[in-house]
Amino acid sequence: MSLYTKSISSFLISRGRHSSLGSLAGLVILISSIPLIAVISNSLELSGAQWLNLWSTRLVELLWNTLSLAFLVAVVCLILGVSAAWWISRYEFVGRKIAIWLMVLPLTVPTYVFAHIYTTMFEDDGWIGSLIIWLFGSSEFIPDIYNIGGTTLVLSLAGFSYVFLLTNAALSNSTKNLEEAAIIHGAHPFQVFWRVNLPLLRPAIAAGTAVVVLHALSDFGAVSMLHFQTFTLSIYLQMSGRFDYQSAAGLSLVLVALSLTFLILERFFRTRQQYYASRQSRAHQRKTASPTVTFMIWLWLGSITLFSFGLPIAWMLKWTAEAWAHGSIQSEFWQYSFNSLLIATIAASLAIVVALPLSLFNARSRSRLSNGMLQLSSVGFVLPGPVIALGILAFILTQLPILYGGLSALVFALIIRFLPLAVQSQDAALQQVTPTIEQAGRSLGAGPIENLRRVILPMIKGGMASAWVLVFIDTLKELPATLILRPTGFDTLPVRIWIEASEEMLELAAPAALMLVIGTLPVLWVLMMNKGSQKT
Amino acid sequence: MNKLTYNFSVLLTLITISLPAFAEESLVVYSGRSDNFIKPVLNAFTQSTGIKVIIHAGKSTGLLNKLRQEGDRSSADLFLSNDAGTLQKGTEFDLFSVLPDNIKSQIPDNFRAADNTWVGLSARARVLVVNKKSSAANSVSSIFDLANPQWKGRLGITNSTNESYIAGTTVYMLVAGKNKTGDWLKGMKNNVEGKVFNKHSKIVKAVASGKLDVGLVNHYYIYRHLAKHPDAPIKLVMPDQAKDGIGVAWNVAGIAIVKHSKKRQLAEKLIEFLISNSGQKQFAEVNLEYPTRKGIAASPKVPAVDSFKVADVPMTRLGTHRSATIDLIESVGMP
Repeated sequence: MSLYTKSISSFLISRGRHSSLGSLAGLVILISSIPLIAVISNSLELSGAQWLNLWSTRLVELLWNTLSLAFLVAVVCLILGVSAAWWISRYEFVGRKIAIWLMVLPLTVPTYVFAHIYTTMFEDDGWIGSLIIWLFGSSEFIPDIYNIGGTTLVLSLAGFSYVFLLTNAALSNSTKNLEEAAIIHGAHPFQVFWRVNLPLLRPAIAAGTAVVVLHALSDFGAVSMLHFQTFTLSIYLQMSGRFDYQSAAGLSLVLVALSLTFLILERFFRTRQQYYASRQSRAHQRKTASPTVTFMIWLWLGSITLFSFGLPIAWMLKWTAEAWAHGSIQSEFWQYSFNSLLIATIAASLAIVVALPLSLFNARSRSRLSNGMLQLSSVGFVLPGPVIALGILAFILTQLPILYGGLSALVFALIIRFLPLAVQSQDAALQQVTPTIEQAGRSLGAGPIENLRRVILPMIKGGMASAWVLVFIDTLKELPATLILRPTGFDTLPVRIWIEASEEMLELAAPAALMLVIGTLPVLWVLMMNKGSQKT
Repeated sequence: MNKLTYNFSVLLTLITISLPAFAEESLVVYSGRSDNFIKPVLNAFTQSTGIKVIIHAGKSTGLLNKLRQEGDRSSADLFLSNDAGTLQKGTEFDLFSVLPDNIKSQIPDNFRAADNTWVGLSARARVLVVNKKSSAANSVSSIFDLANPQWKGRLGITNSTNESYIAGTTVYMLVAGKNKTGDWLKGMKNNVEGKVFNKHSKIVKAVASGKLDVGLVNHYYIYRHLAKHPDAPIKLVMPDQAKDGIGVAWNVAGIAIVKHSKKRQLAEKLIEFLISNSGQKQFAEVNLEYPTRKGIAASPKVPAVDSFKVADVPMTRLGTHRSATIDLIESVGMP
């Protein structure tokens, strides 16, 4: 929390050149801190004895579970994401373009859907379960997935694409000079990778890992389905089992502290490495892969795809076809799809606008204050959905009751939840805009608004689009906050998946899950086109 | 840019417009019950009265939290839950209004709140499912048998956050005492070896396939499985029926009128329908549950209601002792 106070104090002292932008950014931070403030004020109501009780009964186990889960997920995602990115960016092989797609398609499947499908598949009569019985002759050999292993599997399959995307972009943008220099000086290929490529990739890898770890820390869908006791699940159980919002808030606070520590570490790793490529340097030529290498690449990428997308989509298709044949897809289904698209579009569009002052402020001042603000804005991402939802609910009902009843509360919560995604993308894009360009605009007589409109926005168009897409995808999949804050009778696809799944009829959730995938495809396409154009 | 501004203003308008006001003759039900269990009977209500019912589905506890926060701004007229414990919590939080006499007189005392702020609609029994081919088929007769080390690796239970599980444990705790129930939990914890289920239906399936011998479930899951797989080698064992046995644990799904509802009369009409002959028959036939109203028979597929003994615990205690039960479960460290 000291970072917070420091930021506030330096904010008060050094309101210098960017004061109006800074205050706008401060306002955004203030709004996005509403759930955090609610959490802090609620946990203040916890007595010392209650804290002690929390500590002695839960905290140690939860810390251990949560941290080991985050660590394992990060490792698996790194292995999957970096290996795939390396091959795809360095080799020219048959179906390379398709491979890129296959590596990002898992983003269309929410973690709770992954968890549902995998629990079904690992049953005795499930696809994987019956295969194991056929191979080994007994159901004894079917591994249990209601543990850290299963949860890691699900979260990694659902998250490694983030690492892939960022690493792939970095590798495609990297230039050959340094590698050649290393080779000329007699370095082995492994040394080149270890001492040249890896350090250059560090910012991208760190950023990718950060996204994955934050997803793992805040995930609710998979851990609740697989019943693995992490902070989010325990927080939820405090609220639902005992109606104990104070303890839930206390646990949330610990989770926030944990995530912020991690984020600061990540920033530390990222800012120490910056490398600017000069225009003259030559871009990488991809090596043409021999048939053997092509085979090996596809063996690896194919296995990843099988588990991260192939099996889930096959499962969805099968049960959707079944539902279609039985005529059990009702007309309301289209309403749910429309609701999902509507809410995701609104939230994504507003989020990129709300995020802009923050990113701009950070790009211009690059100060501790702006950096602190950036960190603070990520709180929405690490607080569990149900906690954010109840915080927002309490705030709106007491402070802005006029907003209650429509979509506002939900949109409000979704923006706060996914603001960090928008900020991160915009910030990354703004890093490429050198201050001189902006100064040129200003010296030619453009005011700040005109400059923003005619110089900066066109230059960070790609970053804005990525921001929009990332928020859109996560909003489309969002469940816990939507469940609590949606207006009466306003069901989205995730809500329907949840309802059908709690009926103990997982198969009925298939059409909604499939629709989520289909709905995400066009925006994913935008993201991919965007990445493609950045390369040239 | 103009286009962008235009787009934003469209978006903003979309947000500020609240959803269209619901028709006069409509009711909003916060429902913690599975759609499948409640939709048919609510549809029947709409057909017979023309009153539209909007189901706002969620977890019972989540919806209760929401109701509590919303206060008088809630759009909910009724609160429906699959668990008496949650309903009683709502009563504790003063969220419901008192039901009229004509409703309460139809339902036995132990199936409704002491202050008549909620009524039970349908009851379910916490029973054992056993594999006919296993030795459990003849040797298990009490839920306390499940703690026997004999069933190590052969027992199926849900995870300890399941509402039915918590409610059942509350009943045992009240009838058999805290110590005995604690020991029972410890025994089961040893037997399941960390492996618990998130769905009752999966327990029944595992017992049917022979992977497990015995499981603790709500009675209707057994019949649901048998409806799909008539030849499954499973049967229901009504536990604790011996002379000195504690009897089987019940839980009810029930309904309450939200205190701040502006449509009390319509809401009462809905409850009257749900406890009417035809409403109650739906619960019996579609869900295979036990109707709470006196004199309405359960489906012939399930054991007749007078053929077994029920543990003597008023449903309200499922709420008042809920936290104590969770404390006990957590102190044992049930998965």
